Amino acid sequence: MNVKTWFADIEINEDGSVADCSPCTQDVQQLAERLLVFQADPKQIPPAGFDPVQNAIECGFVAGETEYYSLLQQVCIAATRLKIKNSYSPDLRIIHAVEALDDIDEAANLLAERLGIWYGEHFPEAGMLTENLAKFVAENGLRQDLQQDSQFHEAARSSVGMEMDAEDGAIIKAFAADLTSLYERRHVIEAYIHKNMEQLAPNLDEVAGANLGARLISMAGGLQSLSRMPSSTIQVMGANQALFKHLRGKATSPKHGIIFNHPLIKNSHPKIRGKMARALASSLSIASRVDAFSGQLNPAIKEKLDRKVQSIKEGSK
Amino acid sequence: MKVKTFHENIFTLQQGKKRFLATRNLSPGFEVYGERLVQVEQAEYRIWEPKRSKLAAMLLKKLPSPFTNTSKVLYLGSATGTTVSHVSDIVQQGVVYAVEFSPRTMRDMLPICEERPNIIPLLADASKPQSYANVVEPVDVIFQDVAQPDQASIALSNVQHFLKPGGYLLMSIKARSVDSTAKPDTVFKQQLKTLLEQDNSKLELVKKQKLAPFHIDHLGVVVKKTE
Repeated sequence: MNVKTWFADIEINEDGSVADCSPCTQDVQQLAERLLVFQADPKQIPPAGFDPVQNAIECGFVAGETEYYSLLQQVCIAATRLKIKNSYSPDLRIIHAVEALDDIDEAANLLAERLGIWYGEHFPEAGMLTENLAKFVAENGLRQDLQQDSQFHEAARSSVGMEMDAEDGAIIKAFAADLTSLYERRHVIEAYIHKNMEQLAPNLDEVAGANLGARLISMAGGLQSLSRMPSSTIQVMGANQALFKHLRGKATSPKHGIIFNHPLIKNSHPKIRGKMARALASSLSIASRVDAFSGQLNPAIKEKLDRKVQSIKEGSK
Repeated sequence: MKVKTFHENIFTLQQGKKRFLATRNLSPGFEVYGERLVQVEQAEYRIWEPKRSKLAAMLLKKLPSPFTNTSKVLYLGSATGTTVSHVSDIVQQGVVYAVEFSPRTMRDMLPICEERPNIIPLLADASKPQSYANVVEPVDVIFQDVAQPDQASIALSNVQHFLKPGGYLLMSIKARSVDSTAKPDTVFKQQLKTLLEQDNSKLELVKKQKLAPFHIDHLGVVVKKTE
């Protein structure tokens, strides 16, 4: 019987003794690559109970156990390094971008709320929120610094807000500028996701839209794992709490998870949302599979979904 | 602090009324994951926290330790290597083959392997023992902490390939990973059945013990291969 070990191909007799053995050279990188080739496609697997240590010594690959283990460790570390290095998939960038987007949203909402309260004390009549307010404050500063031609000029003169001096103004203006740049960063990252989704997952991009598509990839942990999910999983992904409640037998099954954010579901009448979710999820799972395994845009997926959507809408009338 | 031997190469340190599990540091001066290092009479000990390690919890819950100074160990599901480092302390003259599937966590474990001569890292799938059969030798102990739905059959296939006759399998069954909705006791029963009631499996249950309060819904199991 011929078996492959990490250090040699060995021909062993019926009784387990070594008939023939040609050990590899003690080159760590070469041995590491040999290890990975075997790992990816195990062939000529050593039988249960096979002792590589004794065989390596008998073969003359190493002089003793100490040398064996020290070399084996070096080889395994080198192989692991190689495998880790090759384990990163391109969708990892999208996953991080989506998660960065969520973090920015969280931070920006918090800061925007603070700015709203803070600036509201000074100029409650401005009546703006979030991004608009941040931009307004960053550009104009306090109400007394407004230009003559500003539409808020009149409101500013008669404002009931608290007085603020130049020092207060500088602080709040800088704070608003930081928040504005956070919003700008958000737009940049969003554009980046859109661009990358078009290249990485064109079908998912077309059916789901870049944002939802990227979010699905992120939640599944990668395009590959998304493509291996059944459409029923995609349908309820993100509705974990409701799903487990249902599985424990305490509630009805959730109709949609994160895919609720798709306009097809969000803008549909609640009565047909379940059907829509099912149709959309099945299209999404097909789209992700095409993306993962061919990467070519296939317009037929979207067309089929559109036909299905049409028939659901007609059926409900 | 007063040092007492708990098992071979496993110690307890007594400080007032508190008792800590610990191992003697194989690479003195280096801590692995922020654990406390304690110097007692020329030797450095690493405190072993049962809430962070299922193996430590199993030992404190009075499951027998099969580890000796020279044990060869196959460790399935090594994650970032916190427990592996303690096993490496225990089997000072032995070897630990540490199998982990996730590249991300393996990345954190590599520095530990470089620090300790007796850990062999394997970035592989524990449910495919063939894929590392060209490296791993017959071992005295298999420890498994993989939290997979089919963890009993993963353990079984590794036992059949790598465990020496007379060797031990230690595993921690996480009920919530097998089936998140079933009752833990049902899951434990079913997993033990898969493990022990195979024809020719030659496995015999030594002891089982729930790991609460250290780990909820976990069952620690020690199994011996009879021949």
